[in-house]
Amino acid sequence: MQAVILAAGEGKRLRPLTKNRPKALIPVANSPIIDYSIQALVANGIRDIIVVVGYRKEHVIRHLNRFDVPIEVVEQKNQLGTGDALKCAEPLVKGDFLVIPGDNYIDGPSIAKIKDEKNAVLVQDHPYPSNFGVVMIKRGEVTQIIEKPEHAQSFTVSTGIFSLPEGFFTAIKGNDLTDAVNEMIARGGHMKAVSTSEWQDAVYPWDLLALNKKTVGRISPVKSGTIDKTAIIKGAVRIGRGAYIGPFTIVNGPVIIGENAVIGPHCNIGPSVSIGDRAKIESFTLIEDSLLMDDSSIGSHSRVVEAVIGEGSVLMDHTTVAPDTPFMEIEGSVIRGRFGCIIGDQVRAEPLSIFQGAIIGNNAHIKGGNKLTGLDAAHDEVLVV
Amino acid sequence: MCGIFGYSGGTKAPGIILEGLKRLEYRGYDSFGIASLGDTIHIKKQQGRIPENGFDIGGLSGSIAIGHTRWATHGVPDDRNAHPHLDCSGKIAIVHNGIIENYTVLKRELIGKGHRFRSDTDSEVIAHLLEEVYDGDLFASLMMVIPLLEGSYAILAIAQGDPRIIAVRYRSPLVLGIGDRAMFAASDMAPILEHTRRVIVLEDGDVASLTPDSIEILHDDKKVTRSEEVIEWSVEDVRKGGFRHFMLKEIYEQPAVFSDAIRSLRKEEIPLLVSEAGQVTIVACGTSYHAAMVFRYLLEEHCHIPARVELASEFRYYPPPLSGLVIGISQSGETADTIMALQMAALHGSPTLAIVNVIGSSLSRIADATLFMRAGPEISVAATKSFIAELAVFLHLIDVMKSGSLGPCLDHAHQAMEEALLLELGNAVTCCMAGKDIFFVGRGPYYPLALEGALKMKEISYIHAEGYAAGEIKHGPFALLSPETPVVAICVPGDTYAVMTSNIREMKARGTPLIILGERGDRDLEEIADVFIPLPDADSLAGLLSATVVLQLLAYHTADTLGRDIDRPRNLAKSVTVE
Repeated sequence: MQAVILAAGEGKRLRPLTKNRPKALIPVANSPIIDYSIQALVANGIRDIIVVVGYRKEHVIRHLNRFDVPIEVVEQKNQLGTGDALKCAEPLVKGDFLVIPGDNYIDGPSIAKIKDEKNAVLVQDHPYPSNFGVVMIKRGEVTQIIEKPEHAQSFTVSTGIFSLPEGFFTAIKGNDLTDAVNEMIARGGHMKAVSTSEWQDAVYPWDLLALNKKTVGRISPVKSGTIDKTAIIKGAVRIGRGAYIGPFTIVNGPVIIGENAVIGPHCNIGPSVSIGDRAKIESFTLIEDSLLMDDSSIGSHSRVVEAVIGEGSVLMDHTTVAPDTPFMEIEGSVIRGRFGCIIGDQVRAEPLSIFQGAIIGNNAHIKGGNKLTGLDAAHDEVLVV
Repeated sequence: MCGIFGYSGGTKAPGIILEGLKRLEYRGYDSFGIASLGDTIHIKKQQGRIPENGFDIGGLSGSIAIGHTRWATHGVPDDRNAHPHLDCSGKIAIVHNGIIENYTVLKRELIGKGHRFRSDTDSEVIAHLLEEVYDGDLFASLMMVIPLLEGSYAILAIAQGDPRIIAVRYRSPLVLGIGDRAMFAASDMAPILEHTRRVIVLEDGDVASLTPDSIEILHDDKKVTRSEEVIEWSVEDVRKGGFRHFMLKEIYEQPAVFSDAIRSLRKEEIPLLVSEAGQVTIVACGTSYHAAMVFRYLLEEHCHIPARVELASEFRYYPPPLSGLVIGISQSGETADTIMALQMAALHGSPTLAIVNVIGSSLSRIADATLFMRAGPEISVAATKSFIAELAVFLHLIDVMKSGSLGPCLDHAHQAMEEALLLELGNAVTCCMAGKDIFFVGRGPYYPLALEGALKMKEISYIHAEGYAAGEIKHGPFALLSPETPVVAICVPGDTYAVMTSNIREMKARGTPLIILGERGDRDLEEIADVFIPLPDADSLAGLLSATVVLQLLAYHTADTLGRDIDRPRNLAKSVTVE
């Protein structure tokens, strides 16, 4: 069986995090989201994998080269939509196939439920169905999928994971995959709704915290690196090669710590924390429920709760990140979410900065002693004095 | 990374393996070898690349053969350490890709039992372990040996008296190919695809036996079937891993190359002859020569050690009076001029250091000491990642001599390169494409980068390009400036910023299109420039690395838009092994 992974889109609503990488490459539990799709396929013996790339394609290709499963890559020149993306893979598809978004979390058992079905879609109930394709079902068969309706008539949404027949390509008329599926149904084709085992999407950047929590919760503990004998490691903790856990540091799993990261002394890390490769956490700092990407660093005496921190960003001493639920306008819709901060790549925040429900753009420079909330500093390269 | 390849089929097995190993050379090329199975096992292996003008496989025969092409990361690549490895009796041969982590323990036990080892490799233990249990059924023997191995491995084994190839995969890649009365096993599909498009990708823990007509796979002692796939991509596609060109692939590898190089250099002892050198002469050619020029600026500025940089081709006929350390740099370690220059320095009694990418290459064998740049195999003719790796070696040397004061900068330098990879260069490319000649200018350590940027541009885009120290433009080249000659200027904060901007203004007055690389947010430069490129970390040494990436990408995209054959630029060869 073949599988087509769609990883060409940027994921604009996740800006600033998607300015430098497509959504599929955002790491949760230290692995880009696309890895979970690939692992779910491989776990089901599906190894003929095609990935549609587009936005920041070289980065996706470079990442895919780490897998020793051969992965074929096709390019979508302009990111017009998921239907158009799938169409790019048409010349390589030789029979029935699966379509999987590369920027959602999916587990192996879900793929197992759909891979032997012909004409099926994986569905799941979601508390906010309006962000997704809402699936109308009659006796287990899909009658229609309504993309992002203002008033959803059901809580059942499409995961975007389909099992499709080879002839499906003739149904792709426009740029959208949902339209094509509806077209197929209208032509008399059937489509079975199959419930997932585990699936999760991140629509807005703060959704990454929940996705991180889920994926960190599933790690298998491994202790590498150097752990000071006075450090306390509890629960499921995965520590990468070359990492250093300093004296009197408490790591409360589930926590994943990347290669060559340096933590402590006297830090309190976890639960539900991912710390990227080469990241640095200085003394007397507490981190809880957060996602810190590669090369990021947090100064001493800081308290960081519900934070997403981009690559190479430096938060200096006495930083406070506290959750809030600000109202914000993102890509045209007014929305509120609960989070401490979403910080882009290469941000530099001087000592005594306070973040409370704040989104900070890439390469921002924040002078000390500022308190930031909402979209105050959401532009790239913003300077806050 | 290494490559392995096995074939069971018709009579010309050794020839098929030799051809296949050439396809795997991008995985490593410092030594290679083949073992064939007829009535007995015959083996041929040697250090170095597979010779282009043919390799004598006389003596090898039969319908079954296995081969290996090596990229040593530890231990010397010599004839002895090249795969295949044999047991004591010479009746069992294996090739291995991966690492046997517990080999020292296993080796000690085996020596205790009287086994004689011929190499320093971890892999050889597999052959001797098999010898311990082999009774005519190689498959059963290997099943007994596998539980003893820790680490990662893809293994192919053959033995006298068993007409099969046994293949094992655990955490190292291995694929099988199904041909017409012929079966294949290889590290990847590159050597298989010219024979068949039907492949099976093995899973970790699979053990397979191959005969010309059948493949049998066991997993956890149970027979399993693995799905067969029909592959439609070309050999080139496999090796480029989805990138359009090797050059682009290697450009994107650079952040990892740099930080890996720094990390592994930190674990090494720097030879005393370097850290105690009072004076340094560096001989090199091409891109390596430019890296050496960067080193000269930094060594003199930061360590106050006088340094001179010589073109190897000139040096060997006109050697200056020598005192102090002589360093030879060559990616391949086989550059004829550099080898002869270093030989000459040794004859004069100078202490010599080689900096090479290929372990065990000629240059490292004639030098008193060697440092490895660890860029991994570089396939693109236009050197990119080896330049970055050379800079890594030099920056590390300076860091050591300055007792670690560059440390934090080196730790973060890969990020500056990552940022540079994200820059939008479309307008700069358009500007360069329209040029008849392009001038690259910089000052200080950015002057050699200007030379390197011009070299990249001319070798792959075929647009005439020259690099100059910015102050030299007025001494002649100024006469050539016009609206048809774009200038790429690197202008970073520091001592030369003011004089550099005045040079730029003078060039602007000639109507020259200006592409300027400068610090982010530099309003003055943004105003003067036709295209301004904000250089990540322009204010630190990491700016050298991000500027390199920008110049490489500029050349790449210009050449690509012009439709040039980027990986095979006309008239050029990867390593220049003649004078």
